[in-house]
Amino acid sequence: MLVPLSWLREYVPVEMPLDELANRFSVSTAVVASIDARGVADGGGNLDLFRVGRVLEAVKHPNADRLQLTTVDVGEGEPRSIVCGAWNFGAGATVAVALPGALLPNGLTLERRKVRGEVSDGMILAEDEVGLGDDHSGIMLLPEREPGTPLTDVLPLTDLVLDVEVTGNRPDLLSVYGIAREVAALYELELAPPPGTDPTPAGDEPVNVEIADLQGCPRYVGRLFRGVNVGESPVWLRARLLAAGMRPISNVVDATNYVMIALGNPLHAFDFSKLHGGRIVVRRAEPGEKLRTLDGLERVLEPTDLMIADADRPVALAGIMGGEETEIGAETTDVLLEAANFEPYGIFRTSERLRLRTEGSNRWEKGVDPHLAPQAAALATQLLVETANASWVGSTDVHGDLAERPVVTFRHERVDGVIGLSVPAEEQDALLGRLGFDRPDSQVVVPTWRARDVTREIDVVEEIARFRLEDVPYTLPERRAMFGTMTRDQQLRRRVEETLAGLGFAETYTPSLRPDEETRWKLSEPISAELTALRTSLLPSLVEAVRRNLDAGATRIALFELARVYLSTEADLPDERPRVAGIIEGPFARGKGVVETLYAALKAEPVFEPAHHDLLHPGKTARTHAGIVGELHPAILDGTWVGFELELEPLFADAREPVTYTDVITYPPVLQDLAFLIDEGVPAGQLAEAVRETDPLVREAAIVEDYRGEGIPPGKKSVLLRVAFQSPERTLSNDDAAALRERIVAATTERFGASLRAN
Amino acid sequence: MNERSTTVAPVDWSAYEAEALAACEAASTPEELSAVNTRFTGRNAALPQALRKVRDKETGRQLNDLRSRLDEAEYRASDRITKSQLGLRLAETVDVTLPGEELPLGHLHPITQVRRAVEDAFLGLGYELRDDREVETVEYNFDKLAFEPTHAARSPRDTLFFDDDRLLRTETSASQIHILEEKPPPIYMVSIGRVYRRDAITATRYPIFHQFEGLAVDRGITLADLKGTLLHVMQALYGHERRVRFRTHYFPFTEPSIEPDVSCGVCGGSGCRTCKFSGWIEMGGAGMVDPRVFENVGLDSDEWSGFAFGCGLERTAQLRHDIPDIRALWDGDLRVLRQF
Repeated sequence: MLVPLSWLREYVPVEMPLDELANRFSVSTAVVASIDARGVADGGGNLDLFRVGRVLEAVKHPNADRLQLTTVDVGEGEPRSIVCGAWNFGAGATVAVALPGALLPNGLTLERRKVRGEVSDGMILAEDEVGLGDDHSGIMLLPEREPGTPLTDVLPLTDLVLDVEVTGNRPDLLSVYGIAREVAALYELELAPPPGTDPTPAGDEPVNVEIADLQGCPRYVGRLFRGVNVGESPVWLRARLLAAGMRPISNVVDATNYVMIALGNPLHAFDFSKLHGGRIVVRRAEPGEKLRTLDGLERVLEPTDLMIADADRPVALAGIMGGEETEIGAETTDVLLEAANFEPYGIFRTSERLRLRTEGSNRWEKGVDPHLAPQAAALATQLLVETANASWVGSTDVHGDLAERPVVTFRHERVDGVIGLSVPAEEQDALLGRLGFDRPDSQVVVPTWRARDVTREIDVVEEIARFRLEDVPYTLPERRAMFGTMTRDQQLRRRVEETLAGLGFAETYTPSLRPDEETRWKLSEPISAELTALRTSLLPSLVEAVRRNLDAGATRIALFELARVYLSTEADLPDERPRVAGIIEGPFARGKGVVETLYAALKAEPVFEPAHHDLLHPGKTARTHAGIVGELHPAILDGTWVGFELELEPLFADAREPVTYTDVITYPPVLQDLAFLIDEGVPAGQLAEAVRETDPLVREAAIVEDYRGEGIPPGKKSVLLRVAFQSPERTLSNDDAAALRERIVAATTERFGASLRAN
Repeated sequence: MNERSTTVAPVDWSAYEAEALAACEAASTPEELSAVNTRFTGRNAALPQALRKVRDKETGRQLNDLRSRLDEAEYRASDRITKSQLGLRLAETVDVTLPGEELPLGHLHPITQVRRAVEDAFLGLGYELRDDREVETVEYNFDKLAFEPTHAARSPRDTLFFDDDRLLRTETSASQIHILEEKPPPIYMVSIGRVYRRDAITATRYPIFHQFEGLAVDRGITLADLKGTLLHVMQALYGHERRVRFRTHYFPFTEPSIEPDVSCGVCGGSGCRTCKFSGWIEMGGAGMVDPRVFENVGLDSDEWSGFAFGCGLERTAQLRHDIPDIRALWDGDLRVLRQF
């Protein structure tokens, strides 16, 4: 909400420093995001260089057909010679003049200079040159004033504009008057009565309004005007609209926008002569009905859409946008003004469906006070009569039962209980009074403009809290029953992160949404072609991150990510599983080493077996029961890379935490190197596993060498295992070791046809 | 001397001694000394051989004396050599300005680092940590958090839907409902995870980001407790010299609602581009749990009260590390990651 300071001051005497106001307003009401100067810069005497001038002479420039050469009295005794490109004036006109040295809103500083050989000692101003509009077809013609009069006395040349970020619960602040009311309450200032006083009606014609849906439209104030002169709004009004961020259109439309900004009630004006049957019906749309809205689009309506219709057809999308056919035009003379009230949800639904948000719909969605409509109608009527010379000839106010002011039971002591600050009862009541709340006995009667927001005791407490927020002390909960600790999974997650970082991996974060994922979980409206569906694997995102790093010339690339994948199941929601994935340059063994280290860090032991994965090399991929590790498929990245992706849940399930101590000191192990001759196709890991399983006394069987070639028959290989025999209860003898060794040989011969080679 | 001694090859022991002593003197390395030992006093040298065979007392005494003298000489030589070798080692120098060996060193992402700082701050306050599902229902993301039917966040223009009912959570606040439905108060928890909104990717916005969401529900919790908690956490994250300001705000699931601002770390509060000349930086949202939320999970709001707050991790990381562009946190660029 853009609030021009000059407009605000019409309703409340703002004298305090603006920074102070902005801070206080931000703390207690709504954030003042900025205070911006607009129009001609104030300060350094700049405004003094803008004066009222009277044109004494105006003739064609001797050397230029399109220029006028003028002499202008700016109250200095000696008139100034000014060259001007506009022709919409002549001698005797009162004009706006900027003198050399003046800084214009576009940033240029005016200089005395020669134009085609003639001195130009100033500039006659068009409205766009001082930020009062976008018209550059001619210079501004002013009502007659004494030459030399400061231009600021005649035109709103400069203003400050507060940008207030209004929260969704305070539609009452989407108006200058609402902001003024809040400022008055904050600073205990006097608030002017709301703007708008009905002029004397010029007739008593009937205004035919019917509300077929009182739920969607609780109130409709209709007013009829005749003899309307559609034209440009006066400069003060245009300046205010511009400062508030609205584009001036015509005096009739501007009047409706002005009232919306001033009071917060959106209005609409129809060309009455185009309303069939001269009547208004507020109803839901018939299936298939159509309406061309002011933005030129044909809208196909649905029965949930609330319409303003005439006798035959829809003429406006209620609360959102008017229709093209009944739009105010230059030829309009009769106007039907709508000051209605619409129910929020219906407006929201239609605005959502049509993807059409307007200044009006934004206010209706948040809820506008239905008691505001007559006031809004009065201000609009006053403006139409004053600025468009309209005759107000008829009015009606159709409504059902309007909501009463909410009554809330309120206990003073509740404030202390909720905010932890004791505020005296009299102070609470005074504060509520300034905000428009009445306070009979133990109750609070809420003002109509806050009726949606304040309905419970806690809402009243908030009113006190926000005014005393800075005084609320800093304490901590008493914490009688708190014990902060990380779960096992949370601790292990940190260990995974640290282990990978310790191995030289850089952690990365990549988007959880990907293109073309095979999943049920696709966005109904994707963010972009890249961000369309929830990912089912982390590795593809990491591959892309590696590619980007290669393009950037990075070396020694090693990346990991710990994030979720989202798997489709029969359930209503996806199975969200945390995983860790990584990519590092190097052969299979390096990746496997990373995975083994990760398991070791968790005191777990992985079992690897051959596996397949689309992104990985078909012959160099393994799985553990937590996931996969393998060389990247050579078609995916140049060079040799290895990737892994493991689910945390099974990984953590394997973690031996806490570790149980094993005594390996008291009774030292007997170590033996055993070389097996075995078929080439038998994975060495299976052999080692079989050896370990032979007896609990076989504590370890580590693969030391996998050898084929000289001395080994074709189709065979030699696998050297370093075997440790160890008992926790006694020192093993050579005989024990020999017996174990025999059992190992027997078991491996039976299972793999292995034989022991002589060492 | 008896008869048998004459059968042994005669040795000139004084020459033997002179030769051995000279060899000890000459040895300048442990290896050379070891050779001396092998030649004169080792197992197979003449002296030990002779000692093994000697039978008469006098010869034995003489040879043993000789043996002692040679051992003594070897010991001295050994000591001399050790000292001289140490001297050589100590005389070595390196150019300490040459680079060290490159050992692998990884990096935790700044969001992870911030996440841990947040976790640690709350663990210290006695909070438990959790995370909940990212794909939520309208019921948990909006309805039970008392979002009014017209709240803008319900629109597919703001929120990412899969269908009419299921969506990517727009904030971590649904965790409040989940934990309140799981167990009775007192509850002190912070939930951290990814959230999603329909935002175009720019320097300041990314459609995927992380939030932390805190919830305290107990008897007698006040707004003052919320202010104190947020002050503690903000100072833990940004430093104890920072000031914290609270502004009134609006959220459907808290009443009263506030927003904490932290004094700008770039300008110290006097106003600069980073803080948009306000001196303050918005940190997130907070407030007292709305009685409607308690009703929605079947708790009596006269008995229990609580506060909740939420904050973005990316924003926190950007402010802590002065990262101007949020995309730097999502690109996986090692030039960025290796700085942390």
